[in-house]
Amino acid sequence: MSTTTTQSGLARARRGLAPGGPGGGSLNRKDQSPKNLNRKSKLSAQATRTFFWLLIPSVILLVLIHGYPLVYAGVQATHDGNLLETGNFVGLENFATVLSSPAFWKAAQFTLWFTIVGVFGSWAVGLGLALLLRTKIPAGGMFKVLLLLPWVVPIVVSSTAWNWLVATPDSLIPSIFRSLGLGTPLFLADPALAQVTVMVFKVWVSFPFMMMMTSAALASVDTTVYEAASMDGATRFQQFSQITLPLIARSTYISWILMTIFCVNDFPTIYLLTGGGPVNATTSLVVLAYRTVFQDFATGPGVAIAFLMTITLVVISVILYRQIRKSSVE
Amino acid sequence: MSTVLHAHPDSGPALGVATTGRPRRALSDAGMRGRWWRFTAILAITAIVLVPIMVTVILALTPAPNSTATGLTFENISNVFSQTLAAIWLQNSLITTLATVVVSVAVAAPAGYVLSRGRSKAVSGYSLLLFVMQSLPIITSVVPLFILFANMGLVDNLMGLTIIYVGSTMTVATWMMAAYFDSIPISLEEAAWIDGCSVFGSFTKVVLRNSLPGVLSTAIFAFLLAWNDYLVAIVFLRSNEIFTLPMGVQSFFQQNQTDWSGVMALAVIMMLPPIIVFATLNKYFSVGGIGGSLAGR
Repeated sequence: MSTTTTQSGLARARRGLAPGGPGGGSLNRKDQSPKNLNRKSKLSAQATRTFFWLLIPSVILLVLIHGYPLVYAGVQATHDGNLLETGNFVGLENFATVLSSPAFWKAAQFTLWFTIVGVFGSWAVGLGLALLLRTKIPAGGMFKVLLLLPWVVPIVVSSTAWNWLVATPDSLIPSIFRSLGLGTPLFLADPALAQVTVMVFKVWVSFPFMMMMTSAALASVDTTVYEAASMDGATRFQQFSQITLPLIARSTYISWILMTIFCVNDFPTIYLLTGGGPVNATTSLVVLAYRTVFQDFATGPGVAIAFLMTITLVVISVILYRQIRKSSVE
Repeated sequence: MSTVLHAHPDSGPALGVATTGRPRRALSDAGMRGRWWRFTAILAITAIVLVPIMVTVILALTPAPNSTATGLTFENISNVFSQTLAAIWLQNSLITTLATVVVSVAVAAPAGYVLSRGRSKAVSGYSLLLFVMQSLPIITSVVPLFILFANMGLVDNLMGLTIIYVGSTMTVATWMMAAYFDSIPISLEEAAWIDGCSVFGSFTKVVLRNSLPGVLSTAIFAFLLAWNDYLVAIVFLRSNEIFTLPMGVQSFFQQNQTDWSGVMALAVIMMLPPIIVFATLNKYFSVGGIGGSLAGR
């Protein structure tokens, strides 16, 4: 009963009748308010109880898998010792050790470049393909699915394939270079080339995600805007830079920050292709943290590295959260 | 768009002559050319992009160097099952992934409902907490969890692995569910409440029953994460017979001479399930994918 009234009220509002309309709207509201309120308060007490029970499993898991480890990581980061024993309290010594080690800064620098290339490289490719696929082309749907494959196929599988393609001088791609008279590039043995290879691999893995995000954003853009713009004589490029980009800006911004989090946290893409080598050229912060803990058995410094990453990522994700909240209010 | 222009009454007489007035016919030609140019570009890009995947399939199906088989063969695949623990690895991966998917959805759906319908400080605080946790590097929690799980006998154990997978999927999964529930009008539930339905009842009977696409997209997300994970597996799995497929594939590289036919055969087996899931359920994922759900809130 009340739903019907609400709906008709909404319909009135849509037709512009409700505000100061002829009587009906306000009378209705007066009629409904006591009953409505009564029902609401009873319901909200019940809702609070139900909400509590519905949240319990989630909260337990969050505490067990995220909360407890985070606190314990704080303990480990401020103690010496190894995986088996926590050791003595050393304050911020582990952080000092980490921050004064050249390996950390080298890894931080590589992580920075890896992230920049990963985010903007995959965005550029993803945006380009989303634009190409926006207009109707033959078999467009099939291409959309095929182009998602790099993202869908497990990293272990694709890194194996990439390994086969580039690892040794006799692999397929170095052989092609050789037959073209371009020398025999050692993609994974030369430090600079290995860095480039890992970044290209990351872009290959990530562009489908960007393509999905951009496609979704483009789909929500009203095409009549373009018709109006082309009537006014706007060129293709003007339409792109002055209509398309601003209209998908929010989604773009969110996808950049998400991809930043993905890139900074990325372990398998780098570790499986190069293991962090050659001579640590592709050691990112995660790889360094993993090796410090599980290969050098220096738990404190390893967790300290993870903590420094954590702080950076918390800042990034709070910024992202604010952005999302702000835009959902708009 | 070009067809619309072509159909315009003005476009009749000025066929092909693009000198005066509005060159509508020329635009239409350009439209057709543009379509084919786009098709060729996409075809070429897709072909290049898929090279590593095609290479995997081709190597898996061509005879190994020491084999007597010719042409395309399933010999590598049957060999990898008979000569390695591939069957057990596959089984381990399937069990872990399936358990992760089921538990993730079972935890995330109720929590997502609260995030979607609750309007209190505590709820929005919890929402922020989930969001922050989702962005933390898993390596931070892996080290303490390793010690905790070692004491509980959960290292080198599929249940331990599953617990961590559920823990790491539940944050984003909850957000995805919440975003989907947002799209279900509250008036449907109000109608149920008037009929005497409880809040829990309206959640299961009204909201959940109408949320198949949301549940599926969350399930796909959890599936991909658990199926593809390498970092947690490499830390927590020690013995051959507990390996999941990623560890199984990697174990080929510990020998001096990599058996490429074997590793590619196993790689093909490993990439089939996600491809099948995507080929059949793709439309659900593109609607409610992670990005979409975060962008939509």
